[in-house]
Amino acid sequence: MRFFRWLLLSVWTVSFAVQADVPDHQVFPAQGPQLLLWVASERGRAEPEVHAAQQLAAQGVETWMLDLVAAYFLPQLPSSMDAVPHQDLAAWLRAAQASGKRVVVYAVSRAAVPVLRAAAALEPAERQRLCVMLMYPNLYTVAEPLAEPDFLVVGSLAGLRVQVLQPRRSAATPWLPGLLDHLAKQGATASHVILENLREGYWMRETPTEFEITESRRMDAMLLRELNQWGCK
Amino acid sequence: MKRWLGVCAMSLLLAGGAQAAGFEARAATPAPELKAQDLAGTTRTLVDYRGKVVLLNFWASWCPPCLREMPSMERLRVKMAGRPLAIVALDSAETAEEVNGFLSRMTLGFPILLDPDGSNTKRWKVFALPTTFLLDASGRVRHVLTGPTEWDEGEALEIIESLLAELPAGAKSPTGGALTPQ
Repeated sequence: MRFFRWLLLSVWTVSFAVQADVPDHQVFPAQGPQLLLWVASERGRAEPEVHAAQQLAAQGVETWMLDLVAAYFLPQLPSSMDAVPHQDLAAWLRAAQASGKRVVVYAVSRAAVPVLRAAAALEPAERQRLCVMLMYPNLYTVAEPLAEPDFLVVGSLAGLRVQVLQPRRSAATPWLPGLLDHLAKQGATASHVILENLREGYWMRETPTEFEITESRRMDAMLLRELNQWGCK
Repeated sequence: MKRWLGVCAMSLLLAGGAQAAGFEARAATPAPELKAQDLAGTTRTLVDYRGKVVLLNFWASWCPPCLREMPSMERLRVKMAGRPLAIVALDSAETAEEVNGFLSRMTLGFPILLDPDGSNTKRWKVFALPTTFLLDASGRVRHVLTGPTEWDEGEALEIIESLLAELPAGAKSPTGGALTPQ
């Protein structure tokens, strides 16, 4: 059984090592100077996210939306994000930068892992032109009760600007300072914004509060606000 | 084609690796410090519960699985009345107003402690809610559960009974002091 798993892993690794392909993504074109690369979480793309992308495009922010679990036929699990070939994502980031627009990546939950790995794979000059917004990023390797948290090392993030959007109502909120320190140790310039009265994935909750329903409908406004206040240019 | 076969194979491996969480037995290690105020403003520590088995539950009012298991914790309290079991629910990183707002909708007889700055949550290294620690009467962590359960039945009740069974005969008697509900 171990040999079989090793064989499958080897086939998988070799198949990805052959070449990097820009993954299939949905484009919401716009004429403005900004390009937002939206990478959905391990739970896949949700309807309110698509609506927000449409609204952003209507306001001049071109948006490319990528659903990694659909693009790579992966199960909807956090560990699936770790299996995404980051060279493909790096090729995607380069294609976006080649558009001449200001590129900001927005990644949700564990999608932060392949996005940061892709950013680390860029040339320093490419990375310095990139901004990354991470919505409640999950970068844990180990998060066991009574044990110190351990975060993934993704490679050098020197020159990368990272903004973490953290819903207040999350078990991860008390751990945010440690996450920001970890990003800084890898070279990123990390900052954060707390989103009050919201839970992780508030736009796809089974029992959302009235406030979460309202905020789901105006996710585009929240992102525009944070993009403008952050001023990553 | 080869590439997609590889992806599919990896997907199966990943899917097969997913396991449901359950009670995790720990090698009797001393518990971290617990220092938190209850809703009356009294500071509580684990010393207050020494000599009793302790069920320490980390929760939050915005967490649906936490709220789902709360009624079973209340049933457990009633079922174990007079026995040396302390049920303590520590709200993680919320204000007293938020907790009181929730308690106005659900009546609970066990103590609720507050951790508005998350300091206890960090000392106990809690990364998901609910997380529950079962401590023996010497204040040592013996079992950990991440996620909800029905506390008044099944494996949860068996583990609690096994910890109670370790107590000296006199300490197990129903006349032992029960925690005063708040």
